[in-house]
Amino acid sequence: MRIQILLAWRYLWGRKQRMVLTTLAVVFGVTLLFGLNAMIPAMMESFRHNMVTTAGKVDISISSESNNPFEESVLKDLSEIEDISFYTGILTKNVVLPESLGGTVNKLTGSSAVTVTGVDVATAQNVRNYSLIEGRFLEPNDTNATVIPQLLADKMELKVGDIFTIPSSEGVSDLKVVGILSLSASAGLDEIFVPLPDAQTILNLPQKINTIDILIKSGADRDVVVSSVLSKLGPNFKSGAIQTGEELASALTMGQSMMWLFGVMALAMAGFIIFNTFRTVVAERRRDLGMLRAIGASKQTIMGLIMVESLLQGIIGTGLGLICGYLFSYLLVSAVGNIFAGMLRVTIGAPVITTVNLIGSILLGVGFTVGSGYFPARSAMKVTPLEAMRPTLGSIEYRQNNRRAIWGLGLLTLSVVGLLLGNVSIAGLSGVVFLVGIILIAPVMVKPVADIFGKLISSIYSREGKLAQGNLTRQPSRAAITASSMMIGLAICIAMMAMITSIEHGFTTYLDKSLGTDYLLMPPSLVLGSGNLGVNQGFIEKIKSIDGVEEATSLRLATSQVDGTTLQLIGIDPLVYPKIAGLEFSEGDSVEAYKAMEQGSAIIVNGIFAVTNNVKTGDVLSLKSPQGERKYTVVGIGFDYLNAKISTGYVSQSDLAKDFNSESDLLLLVNRKPDATAEEVTPALQTVIKEFPTFSLIDSNEFKTEQMGMFKMAMSVFYIMVIMLAVPGLIAMANTMSINVIERTREIGMLRAVGATQTQVKRMVFAESVLLSALGTTMGILVGLFLSYLLVKAIGVIGFRTDFFFPTSGIIASIVVGLVFGIIAAMVPARQAANTVIVEALQYE
Amino acid sequence: MATIEVKNLSKVYGSGETKVTALDSVNVTIEQGQFVAVMGPSGCGKSTLLHLIGGLDRPTDGSVFIEGSDISKMSDKTLTELRRRKMGFIFQFFNLIPVLDAIENTALPLILDGVKPELARTKASEWLSRNKLDGRGKHRPDELSGGQQQRVAISRAMVSDPVIILADEPTGNLDSRSGDEIASTLRKIVTDWKRTVLMVTHDPRIAAYADRIIFLKDGKVVDDTLLNGSNGENAKRLKEKVESL
Ligand SMILES: Nc1ncnc2c1ncn2[C@@H]1O[C@H](COP(=O)(O)OP(=O)(O)OP(=O)(O)O)[C@@H](O)[C@H]1O
Ligand SMILES: [Mg+2]
Repeated sequence: MRIQILLAWRYLWGRKQRMVLTTLAVVFGVTLLFGLNAMIPAMMESFRHNMVTTAGKVDISISSESNNPFEESVLKDLSEIEDISFYTGILTKNVVLPESLGGTVNKLTGSSAVTVTGVDVATAQNVRNYSLIEGRFLEPNDTNATVIPQLLADKMELKVGDIFTIPSSEGVSDLKVVGILSLSASAGLDEIFVPLPDAQTILNLPQKINTIDILIKSGADRDVVVSSVLSKLGPNFKSGAIQTGEELASALTMGQSMMWLFGVMALAMAGFIIFNTFRTVVAERRRDLGMLRAIGASKQTIMGLIMVESLLQGIIGTGLGLICGYLFSYLLVSAVGNIFAGMLRVTIGAPVITTVNLIGSILLGVGFTVGSGYFPARSAMKVTPLEAMRPTLGSIEYRQNNRRAIWGLGLLTLSVVGLLLGNVSIAGLSGVVFLVGIILIAPVMVKPVADIFGKLISSIYSREGKLAQGNLTRQPSRAAITASSMMIGLAICIAMMAMITSIEHGFTTYLDKSLGTDYLLMPPSLVLGSGNLGVNQGFIEKIKSIDGVEEATSLRLATSQVDGTTLQLIGIDPLVYPKIAGLEFSEGDSVEAYKAMEQGSAIIVNGIFAVTNNVKTGDVLSLKSPQGERKYTVVGIGFDYLNAKISTGYVSQSDLAKDFNSESDLLLLVNRKPDATAEEVTPALQTVIKEFPTFSLIDSNEFKTEQMGMFKMAMSVFYIMVIMLAVPGLIAMANTMSINVIERTREIGMLRAVGATQTQVKRMVFAESVLLSALGTTMGILVGLFLSYLLVKAIGVIGFRTDFFFPTSGIIASIVVGLVFGIIAAMVPARQAANTVIVEALQYE
Repeated sequence: MATIEVKNLSKVYGSGETKVTALDSVNVTIEQGQFVAVMGPSGCGKSTLLHLIGGLDRPTDGSVFIEGSDISKMSDKTLTELRRRKMGFIFQFFNLIPVLDAIENTALPLILDGVKPELARTKASEWLSRNKLDGRGKHRPDELSGGQQQRVAISRAMVSDPVIILADEPTGNLDSRSGDEIASTLRKIVTDWKRTVLMVTHDPRIAAYADRIIFLKDGKVVDDTLLNGSNGENAKRLKEKVESL
């Protein structure tokens, strides 16, 4: 082992530029992988922390399996269980504080909110300890009274005796502050306590609670008590506090897989670079290796030599990558942290290093490096001792690439057929097949592509262009591998841009359709579930009674589970909703679907849910409700704009009330009468809204414009990621150009000796680099087109059907990027070549 | 028991129309402590013979015995070990590792054999100073002249106390003065250290340092002469012989 390490170090050190570039590729890949994956857990962590803190410090919390409220009367059942010393029912929910009530509202990030917790004044203090620093706790005959935490009191400048106004299902509730709690200033929302009946009014959930807190007798076994409680209450209950925002958690999980994908892709490109480098390394050292074999080094020793060298680079690259990744993640968290902090209403701390991420990054980083070194090491092993006896010849590739190209062609045909079959998973697979096919064909593409673009260059610099063209085609495999890593970056770039163009187009259509009304009466946060407070029937009645309002309809909300996945349920009025807004259907007939919904027990699910749970029209879903399992027939697959991103089902409002105890209106869609003008109707609406400060009145057209703007902003984050993926392509090119120049030092010296000027030598290197990038760009455009078509199809499958738009902008961007990269990559090697000292070059071996 | 015994050794490259018989039933026996030079016109099979004796390549037919054991039947592993312990190679192009200094290059066979680094370095330095390279130990090959590089290579070949030293045109890349230096170093290896040296050369002046000359032509041994007398005379005689063959 000693000899391998010694030689590996020395050889690496002897070619610093190459070592730096190769290692840099690994560093970059690991940085992306590790950094991106350290960011998401940071968010999840604080998110979970938030949920844990709201659970409070009681022995046992019981909530309904579906996280929905349930009847107060359930509490009776607990009285018989031994080992429980006390229990109390609680109704708790986050409520957004609109700006008019002292909250801070930010369109992008959501708003400030409080947790409103209704407690049974008689029993609450038995279970939980409320330490007051001022005033008193709630008392049995209190109404419209509240105890608030100190932090909130300071923030809102409230004292005992002041009135704290919060939104309520009846408009607003004026609560008198009777006490101030010294609760810890931990993460999460400020929790205010009100008498249970007040909370039930505020939240429009009469006779309902959603959590039971239990204190067990000292000495009792907690697990035993939990199981006897659960067996008493039945299968619709679970131990643990009510969980909100599961959809967001699952969105984060999905984000995480995206991050892994990005990181692995960057590492795959690094793999190409390493592979290229070590192939060159082996070619360069054939004579050294042969000598070592002759003087008695075993095959294993030789193989080990190359493997140790790649291992060293893998370790160094991964180590640096971990450090850079952490810093990168830190930057990301501080940059986007604010946005997320607002959205999740939690503060995000430092990046979190999970074991999975750490070990995964190390394994993948080192693994890709060593793996890419493996094949060159194998070929090094096959070097015979006789090679030591021969003088070194310039390494020119004589190998036939035709066989591989035929394979590649076969794969390409296969993938096109796969795409045409129209099945998603086959199409996805054919994307990979296409990529492999192109990589196999690449070596034979080198010559024609170099010929075509070489002609272009020759028309400017005739002599240098010819030479460059010849040089590039000398090592078609090396050129092809370099181009492949560039291709991956560019292809993703093009595919993403195509997808974004297509989505953008589809987006406008959807916006128009699902927000087809004149006005939206919106809750403060766009994601319906997060802390928005519904209102009772009174509100929509008032809106309908306005002169000039033709029709108004509402959306309601509940959550449920199907086979363990959370499903957001939206309650719509199947008679009115289709008339003024309507869902976008991708499966099933809309008229039939709404009709079935009127009959009851029918559900329309959105594409995300249908795809992830493999649901088709006609399937029967078993939805968990506080009253037990309920069967719903899927009558269609469709979605509205607001709920496109999370798993959603649409049911009739009467079903939602019956099965899920939800009767509050969360969002209103309002249409004017044709003859009424905005000048008449808008002020009237505003007057009504004054009483219900949860809502804000939004002109649909303005809203759409705003949404488009936000959409574009979100997409720009994508662009940044895409650009990052192009960087390894640049490293690959720089690496190859530097290899090429060093390999040809002798030739360059000869050229200089017979009278080539420095400028000519430089031009020759630049021309070769640009040719190389032309190859990468050509391949990138081909694969990019294929992938973009595939992507647009794929998002069509999850319900976001859009037309395919030819990614002109992506292609133009790729060409520009390719050209620029070609020039940047050649800068250092070209200077090196031009500065070649003729005499030394001729001695060079 | 002879140090090297070659029996009916044949080597055929290629097949059909491109078939080349590089060696054709060669029989040679070399005793310990002999300095043997192999001569003959270009393409006659000199290098091939050397490669087969060194276990760098496999014969088509016949066998090579090194100290009595048949190396043509050995596995790659045992053969590699044999090369490591029993043989030292000197190449026309020196073949030093460019990133290692003279001591490290010299110590390579020992390190490959698992000898402790300190001991290996000491032995290497000893051989370097024997070959008049004191003070050059820390120099890398590109800081040494051709002759010096070849003396590092000889040190490397000797460091593991091999039985046989094989050298293919060791002076082919050197001027005549450096060539003489190398030849006399090899001579000393035989005289002072009782090693067996087998050297391929074109140059009668260099061959004249040897005890015995084997002439090859078209893959066959055509002459096998023992030399005695002075170097100068021998060189002249050899020159005439080369011209006559
Ligand atoms: N790998 C090979 N494949 C085919 N033929 C070979 C190979 N190696 C050597 N030969 C042929 O075998 C014959 C003997 O070659 P060898 O290298 O032993 O000659 P040599 O005597 O060392 O010549 P020189 O003095 O030029 O080095 C030559 O005709 C050569 O062409
Ligand atoms: Mg030869």
